[in-house]
Amino acid sequence: MKHIVKTWIPALFLAVMLTLPVQTGSAAEFDPARLGPPHVEDLYMVIIRDPDAQVLALEKGDIDILGDIFRPSDVERLSKNPEIDLSLSMAFHGFFLGFNLREEPWSRLELRQAAWQSIPREELVRDIFSGYAAPLSTFLPPSSQYFEKDVLNYPYDPEKARTLLKEKGWTLSSNGHVIPPGSDTALEKMSILSPTAQVAPTTFELATRIAGYLENIGIPAQVEPMDFATMLSRLDNHNFDSYVLAWSMTRDPDSLYSFYHSSMDIKGGYNIPGIHNPSLDTVLENLRYSPDRESGEKYASLAQKELSRLVPVIPVYSRYSIGAVSRKWTNIVKSDVTTGDNIWTLIGTKPVDGKERSLYWCLPEEPRALNPFTASTAYDWQVLGLVYGSLISVDPYNLEDIPWLAESWEIKTSDDKERAKTILEFRLREDVKWHDGEPFTGKDVKATIEFLRDNRIPRYLDNVKDVEKILLPDKYTVRIYMKRTSFWYLHGIGGLPVFPEHIIKDVDNWQNWQPTSLRSPVNSKVTGLVGTGPYIFEEYRTGEYVKFRVNPWFVQTTPPRGDNQIR
Amino acid sequence: MKRRGLTGNYWFMRVASAFLVIFAVLVLNFILFRMMPGDPVSTIIDPGFSPEAKAELRKMYGLDLPLTAQFFKYARQMLTFNFGISFLTGRPVWNELASRIPNTVALLGTALLLSSLLGTWLGIKAALNRGRWLEKIVLWGGAISFSFPSFFIQLILLMCFAYLIPIFPLRGSVSIPPPTGFLPAMVDYARHMALPVFSLVLLGFGGWALYVRNLMVKVMSEDFVLMARAKGLPQRMIIWKHAFRTILPPVITVFLLALPGTVSGAIITETVFSLHGVGRFLLEAVSGHDYPAAGAAFFLLALLTIFSNLMADLAYGIADPRVRVEKRNNR
Repeated sequence: MKHIVKTWIPALFLAVMLTLPVQTGSAAEFDPARLGPPHVEDLYMVIIRDPDAQVLALEKGDIDILGDIFRPSDVERLSKNPEIDLSLSMAFHGFFLGFNLREEPWSRLELRQAAWQSIPREELVRDIFSGYAAPLSTFLPPSSQYFEKDVLNYPYDPEKARTLLKEKGWTLSSNGHVIPPGSDTALEKMSILSPTAQVAPTTFELATRIAGYLENIGIPAQVEPMDFATMLSRLDNHNFDSYVLAWSMTRDPDSLYSFYHSSMDIKGGYNIPGIHNPSLDTVLENLRYSPDRESGEKYASLAQKELSRLVPVIPVYSRYSIGAVSRKWTNIVKSDVTTGDNIWTLIGTKPVDGKERSLYWCLPEEPRALNPFTASTAYDWQVLGLVYGSLISVDPYNLEDIPWLAESWEIKTSDDKERAKTILEFRLREDVKWHDGEPFTGKDVKATIEFLRDNRIPRYLDNVKDVEKILLPDKYTVRIYMKRTSFWYLHGIGGLPVFPEHIIKDVDNWQNWQPTSLRSPVNSKVTGLVGTGPYIFEEYRTGEYVKFRVNPWFVQTTPPRGDNQIR
Repeated sequence: MKRRGLTGNYWFMRVASAFLVIFAVLVLNFILFRMMPGDPVSTIIDPGFSPEAKAELRKMYGLDLPLTAQFFKYARQMLTFNFGISFLTGRPVWNELASRIPNTVALLGTALLLSSLLGTWLGIKAALNRGRWLEKIVLWGGAISFSFPSFFIQLILLMCFAYLIPIFPLRGSVSIPPPTGFLPAMVDYARHMALPVFSLVLLGFGGWALYVRNLMVKVMSEDFVLMARAKGLPQRMIIWKHAFRTILPPVITVFLLALPGTVSGAIITETVFSLHGVGRFLLEAVSGHDYPAAGAAFFLLALLTIFSNLMADLAYGIADPRVRVEKRNNR
């Protein structure tokens, strides 16, 4: 009874959380202009590494916002605190059991299908995550706009799994292990690569349980725990039977191309299972180079259907994002796809009692590099994301594109006889200024893209390598010609951070550029980290905190919905 | 002349062997990190980061160069103390270490000093009170403090003295916003470091107490102590001038060999108290295959260990008259 209560109360809380109405409105009502300009004068990102210390700091009032809460015990504790407002959202996380399809026996489809049927995903989510995760049934997370529900499904049914193998000619040995058709020896123990329990306890626990479920239907399996870098090296060299791995995906479905197209079955490529299927390849190529959204939706759906038929990996679960904000602050933006710890909250929030004060947001790790050209961790971008703006942004309620530095945009396909090409045209806002007071124009966008492309900066290479040329028909219009056709170019280009031309023209060595220790050439009160975002970077005290002050020029206006033409 | 030659020879051999160790460390540092599976680029698992982008990154880190070229670049960097740029942070490795060493030394240096002083004092007291309650408390306390996991003690301290009775801060080494003025800043720093230092003293004194107690018990039963007593020397003189002086060389050795540890950091303590220290930097450098950072950190640690060893040799001679006599006799 105690176990049932312990397991189901969080799950019940989860269900309530997901059905609760959002605090500040719905998707149809979201308008960034209503939030801004920011009400907080000083913002501190406070570095607190230990999860226990983070929770204590939030409860004590040392911090106001805490994101990425992943331990069920912390969620339960904070949910009982009336001073804390918890928010929970679907995330882009996916955890998979993968196989090496290059070799026997995992090259056999029926074995992979049977394995899928042997895993009780609902039970795993309930036992290990106390309900704070969702069982995953396809290859994109449910939060994705391209998530396809109508795919081949393999619900937990070990008896059916055994029957499937039997129908395909598999037999059982005296020790209960399966014997492949045409062979007289049972399968030997196969390994499931996993990080060690010390480094990733949950992943190791999942791998151990999965090995048990496979054993249950006669597939001999055991976990092979190892250092994560060693594991990645083994995967890279195709030296494995199977593995467990979690991915953080994006809102666009074209990542499926990277994961499952045969051209990506190379060293350093992400087609780890090594699936080679011509019909899947065709669908994935059509997905990657879809000229418009409708076509993208169609091929994303087809790709998921193909993948569920071919089972290169088994989806297991998707973790929820959980964030917490002190109730001393109001105007928190949250939805079922966005937790309260987001940039919109930082723009819109104000103290409930109306007394002006600083806002403290937990940064769970030190930012490694505050150089936007080399910054790679989520913590680097928690800082830089407040400084730099992009041409388009993402609606926190429905993940649709919304205007940011561009007030509208068009996607066109050229009539080039040799090869159709995508042309992106952005109409920029005319009222935006850089943190140092310089006006923002199309020149900055052009300079940014050309700088990233010409320097072949690894972090941005995939976004800009297909840019053929950039034209500026007027001061606030940018027309970008791509080398190929793809609807996803819009997000690749529109999501790039935009840098000021007057700063980057002086960057000789982008690898070692340290903008936080430089000053803007036009305004010495601002560091070299000059953006258009809602907050101006002021100071990084290494290992302690990052301080921002409000951007006095930040004005967020949004034209009515429906103005953005996409064709 | 002959005497000076022999002494000089001893130190020449010690210094020469130290250089040999440095050379071995230099080579092993290079080979071992590159023998580890994977490289800094292979640990990136982001579907938005194509193999082509990874190749560019490898080029940026200089990993596309032949191993011999990489070795000579690395050796030059180490020997000139210009450790290059960290792969992970893009900042000079020197700057990275320099920003972390003060906190780490303040934390671990103070903790080592206090725990060794406290442990030594308690160890001597226990040895002098054999069979009494004081010895039992020291033995039990020492064993318990020595065997508790650090994160457990530290989280309890954090919960008690930073949350329930909030007399110490929860995190970091500075208040936010930081106080202005030298004295307030120093007081603020001391307040932030108090709990982590206290936790390490609590965890560390036991080992010292048990070690010193065992040495002292053995020494107190030696003939020369009996002789000193028979001569009617005061108890204080017997303990501090005769017995303690005898156990001083091994205590100094242990203390000096613990010195490099004050720079290598304490990963768990740094994590629990969110301190900007060397420990986590080292861990991330190793796990993230940050060759310049890991190579520099281990090189410096090796230098410090070798230096501490030499210092221990020197201190032996100063603390133990028998060593000096032995050396004179050898001459």
